[in-house]
Amino acid sequence: MAVIELKNVSRHFISDSGVVPAVTGLNLTVKDGEFLCVVGPSGCGKTTLLNLIAGFERPDVGKVLVGGVEVQEPGSDRFVIFQEPALFPWLNVSQNIAFGLKVKGVNDAEQKERVCELLQLVHLSRFGDAWIHELSGGMKQRVALARALALDPAILLMDEPFAALDAQTRDLLHEEMEQIWQRTQKTVIFVTHNVREAVRLGTRVILMSPHSGKICREYPIDLPRNRFLEDPDVARIASVIRDDLRREAASVAEGC
Amino acid sequence: MSVVWRRRLLSVLFLLSLLALWQIVCFLELWDETLLPTPMQVWQTLSAGLADGTITAGIMASMKRLFTGYGLSLAIGIPLGLLLGRNRLLDDTAGSLAVGLQALPSICWLPLAVLWFGLSEAAMQFVVVMGSFMSITLAVRDGVKTIPPLFIRASRVLGARGWFFYRHVLLPASLPTLLTGAKLGWSFAWRSLMAAELLYGSVGIGSTLMSGRELHDMALVVAAMLVIVAIGLLFDRVIFQAGERYIQRRWGV
Ligand SMILES: Nc1ncnc2c1ncn2[C@@H]1O[C@H](COP(=O)(O)OP(=O)(O)OP(=O)(O)O)[C@@H](O)[C@H]1O
Ligand SMILES: [Mg+2]
Repeated sequence: MAVIELKNVSRHFISDSGVVPAVTGLNLTVKDGEFLCVVGPSGCGKTTLLNLIAGFERPDVGKVLVGGVEVQEPGSDRFVIFQEPALFPWLNVSQNIAFGLKVKGVNDAEQKERVCELLQLVHLSRFGDAWIHELSGGMKQRVALARALALDPAILLMDEPFAALDAQTRDLLHEEMEQIWQRTQKTVIFVTHNVREAVRLGTRVILMSPHSGKICREYPIDLPRNRFLEDPDVARIASVIRDDLRREAASVAEGC
Repeated sequence: MSVVWRRRLLSVLFLLSLLALWQIVCFLELWDETLLPTPMQVWQTLSAGLADGTITAGIMASMKRLFTGYGLSLAIGIPLGLLLGRNRLLDDTAGSLAVGLQALPSICWLPLAVLWFGLSEAAMQFVVVMGSFMSITLAVRDGVKTIPPLFIRASRVLGARGWFFYRHVLLPASLPTLLTGAKLGWSFAWRSLMAAELLYGSVGIGSTLMSGRELHDMALVVAAMLVIVAIGLLFDRVIFQAGERYIQRRWGV
């Protein structure tokens, strides 16, 4: 079943240097429970693609459908996890995680119970009362993940969530992410610069071409779980994608 | 900790030596006693006024005016600031009016207030409100405008809308600037009140100061000035520092 459909979607921006086509004529179908990774060079429109699905941007042309309904505005069925964690500094860790529940009017006892489970899930049980500035980068991303999962969204949209983390923390979060995805069967769209990360996590990887805002290639990843970043198979597929990426970049450079 | 204590000790020593200098100048009788009272005279006037209730009554009257006036300013200024920060049209109209009117020293509202409200409490409180609410409004507005857009986006994703969004996102997110604004508003309110009381005396600490002038009682003038400084410092140190610590604990440095 397709949960997300983009039909011939275009979105451009006007800047001082003229019209910037961020996404052009993009078609994409994401199935329920898929872990879709989006890779591509900087400025190719990955964030714009996520923003369109999230409802922060509206397409100039085309349609964005989620569960068959056209996206009008952001909603908690499509949860966005940003590159920076965007946690609220005026709330402690537990209160941050509970925020979405509070919006929904869930009662205090139930909130507490949910928060407790989620803290365990992201291995932060001891940090419920900590303030945000007291956490490391990896811990902050975990809290952001817990805050997202609290609302049990069907779709997680993640924009380079682990880009700012060190290698060890990232490995750990890859494992946690994979486990959470396997357990909850959510649909994930995961944007990254890192081709290997994409192959390690995704059920499918799409490559966006630079400056044209289109999907130029797709790679189904049929490797068994659980994978590691160092697996030879992961490395092999990643190098194929990287070559394609380089070729794309070169062809665009020639066109200039 | 020892550094903190050394700095405290230093400032106490400094004040004590100023006091000593004052005493010495009085001792040398360079100026007439009616122009420069001794520290002891000021102390006696102050303690007598506190004991017989004349100064205390002035303080209480001024505090009552200040709390109503400043309270009103906060009650108007904060919601208005939140709205201005979110609404371009309101900001371009009411916001720019507030910026313009801020150029007017608050005491300039007194003649208008007296004509509208007569020589009354209401006139003085009007001056206090006009003196402080606009600076609070503008600070809160700027606070809202400088909230990282990411917070706003995150709160939209979390489903916060309408009243909930204002109460649980905009207000707390702008708390650091709000506190700065409230502090500024407080000092404007305090100054405006003193100015109003000096010009139009009923009971109040500003009026006590003025009656000191009328009676040529220099000791009373200095005592009243000391009380005014003390009240200002007390609020700055106790209330606003508590607020700053609250913010520091949450936001980090
Ligand atoms: N709000 C905006 N105003 C003007 N131009 C924009 C805006 N947002 C994006 N763009 C332009 O659209 C193009 C695609 O941007 P986008 O942020 O989607 O890229 P990206 O693939 O996420 O890049 P990165 O990997 O660096 O995050 C870029 O050329 C960018 O300059
Ligand atoms: Mg991006």
